[in-house]
Amino acid sequence: MSRANAFRALPALVIAALSAGAWGQTPAEIVARADEVRNPNEAFRFLSTLTEYVSGKPQAQNVLAIFSKKDPRTGQFRNLVRYVEPPRDAGKAVLLDGRAFWFYDPASKASVRISPQQRLIGQAAVGDVLTVTMSIDYTASLVSTESVQDANKKPRTCWHLDLKAANELSTYARIEYWVEQGSFQPVKAKFYSDSGRLLKILFYRSFDTWLGGLRPTEAILLDAVDSSRVTTLKSSEHRLQQIPEAWFQREYLPRLEAE
Amino acid sequence: MSFALVALAEPAQVQGQVEDELSRIPSEAPPAPPAAPSGGSRLGKLQRTLYLESATEVEQLRSSLDVPSPSPAPPTIEQRLFADLVLHWIPTRDLTFHLSARGGFRIGEGIPFPTHENIRADFRELYTSWKPFEGAYLDGGRINLKSGVAIGYNPTDFFKTRAVVEPLSIDPAVLREDRLGTLMLRGQFVWGHGSVTAAFAPRVASPPPLYTNTTLPALDPMFGRTNGHHRFLLKGNVDLIEDFSPEALFYEEDGAVRLGINVAQGLGKKIVAYAEWAGGSQPGIAQAALSFGTSTGSLSTAAAGNLATSSATHFQQDASVGLSYANESKMTFWLEYHLHQAGFSRADWRSWFEQGTGPHGQLLSPLLWFERGYAQEEQVPMSKHSLFLRADWTDAFIFNLELTAFANVDLYDGSTLGQVTASYAVTNLWTVSLLSAANLGSRRSEFGSLPSYFSALFAIRHYF
Repeated sequence: MSRANAFRALPALVIAALSAGAWGQTPAEIVARADEVRNPNEAFRFLSTLTEYVSGKPQAQNVLAIFSKKDPRTGQFRNLVRYVEPPRDAGKAVLLDGRAFWFYDPASKASVRISPQQRLIGQAAVGDVLTVTMSIDYTASLVSTESVQDANKKPRTCWHLDLKAANELSTYARIEYWVEQGSFQPVKAKFYSDSGRLLKILFYRSFDTWLGGLRPTEAILLDAVDSSRVTTLKSSEHRLQQIPEAWFQREYLPRLEAE
Repeated sequence: MSFALVALAEPAQVQGQVEDELSRIPSEAPPAPPAAPSGGSRLGKLQRTLYLESATEVEQLRSSLDVPSPSPAPPTIEQRLFADLVLHWIPTRDLTFHLSARGGFRIGEGIPFPTHENIRADFRELYTSWKPFEGAYLDGGRINLKSGVAIGYNPTDFFKTRAVVEPLSIDPAVLREDRLGTLMLRGQFVWGHGSVTAAFAPRVASPPPLYTNTTLPALDPMFGRTNGHHRFLLKGNVDLIEDFSPEALFYEEDGAVRLGINVAQGLGKKIVAYAEWAGGSQPGIAQAALSFGTSTGSLSTAAAGNLATSSATHFQQDASVGLSYANESKMTFWLEYHLHQAGFSRADWRSWFEQGTGPHGQLLSPLLWFERGYAQEEQVPMSKHSLFLRADWTDAFIFNLELTAFANVDLYDGSTLGQVTASYAVTNLWTVSLLSAANLGSRRSEFGSLPSYFSALFAIRHYF
């Protein structure tokens, strides 16, 4: 940043800091409150319907059953994903457990270990997008307070936060995150790779009451690399669910049902 | 105060970007998928995956071989049409039933028509699972029990032997899909820090001889292939430290014991390292083949005696050690080294070709090819040392196009089995695939000596 730009940005940073302070929240607390809005604390299960658009036209749909439970040691959600639709993928399952990721294919009856990068190739990555606990995986700082348009083009006054990966295995190196002041509702996020490349833009939409809170039921992912690609994720059938620790063993994957 | 800040933080260029982002958001909800969940429980409902596939294969054979392959030669053209069905029924939370089968029709050069050889049915799985309490499972029936963490060759996948019948492709991933389960009783307990599995598969039929393309049974469950011996497997894994949970295996087949270990570990964001090892007392591949041939009546003892092989049985090891690497462009690469100590050494290969081309070559060549056919049915490498490379590219060039390529390289002679597949999901229900494979190498190399030089397969699949 040049000296001139630094001086230009200084008032914004001061005002942003004052603004966050006026609400009595540190950047980390803002992100933590937004985490609480996005997901409940208890173990739960929901369905996610993914629609992939290419040049504005729907090209493919997937339905996933996602089981999420916080790891008591890390506070981060662990996810089990089972493919329900389409028939080509039905029965496939993915275990996303902090650092260990396993993919099970019922056709070959084989579970193979996949890397954090490899898990982003499949649709199961949405489980992480929806349930990632940003306050744990990332270190937040406040950039500014801004009025941003949400997915319905409605202006919202937001904290603009800059999140840096807190450990080397965080899925993204950096996230820009917009959280509405007062409601702590997440509005928008931008995800960056290690090389600083903008990968995805995420909008949250359709807030509704489920599992004890007003939470988003839809996320819209804009592919920043291929501008013709958009994925919408609609969640439904949320319910609290007992998820035994045994489910997070790779040997359990073949037995994971959508129910 | 906040609005003053907005003016500072959102110059016109940023505003333009935001509007561009918002304009990309689809305005209308898409139609629901055909079988979208209605909100009701799926308990008690029958889950079905059914597809119909047409596969047309053409094959170019080598005009001559140093060691002539016994008849029948592989067909140069073959057409297959089959239905693949998987049924999964969960009447209660503690009980499930599972059926997996494939059946269809085939015609091809050298396959008589109309005969039972035109009909093929594989009853892959039929079993029930009961959960007496949380984490404990009892399964009984024909079950496809797979073990191992490697991609190209699984030394600890003890139930793979003779389980594959007439595969559409020699891609290891396809071989795992097309295989028969084993009649067994299996118990499993999974807890928060590990799991243990025990399986017993009884001998229920005599092992049949090796099949050729024109001696495949039509409607036989082929238990002799999967249950020709008493077999027992005990395996388990425990989380020793965070993210490290190796699996140990004990396997016994008619009194012969093999031990195994599986380990897979992430190395940073993009790499996974894995290793798979099995060891036990067994003869070399040639002796095992000849013993099998005489015990099943395929070879006379006198004929088998014409081949000089060592009858010694000693501790032999198998291993797959590899790495996978994924990049941000949805490409994944695997590199794997395979050790099959019971396989052919350089001297064994030299002997194989010398015997096949020597003065008694005509007499010995059926025996020599029998050895290779046996290794193929056992799904073990023919050579002691080989290398396996694979690459997958999801959404290659266009959305829903997947490109896959792999190569199996004999490290003695450099000969290679290579295959490239393009698979395009036209819709959620239609997939088309084009596959081409080649056996490359000199006339006296592992893959260069095979009858098939090049093959291509075009397949259309429709899900119902």
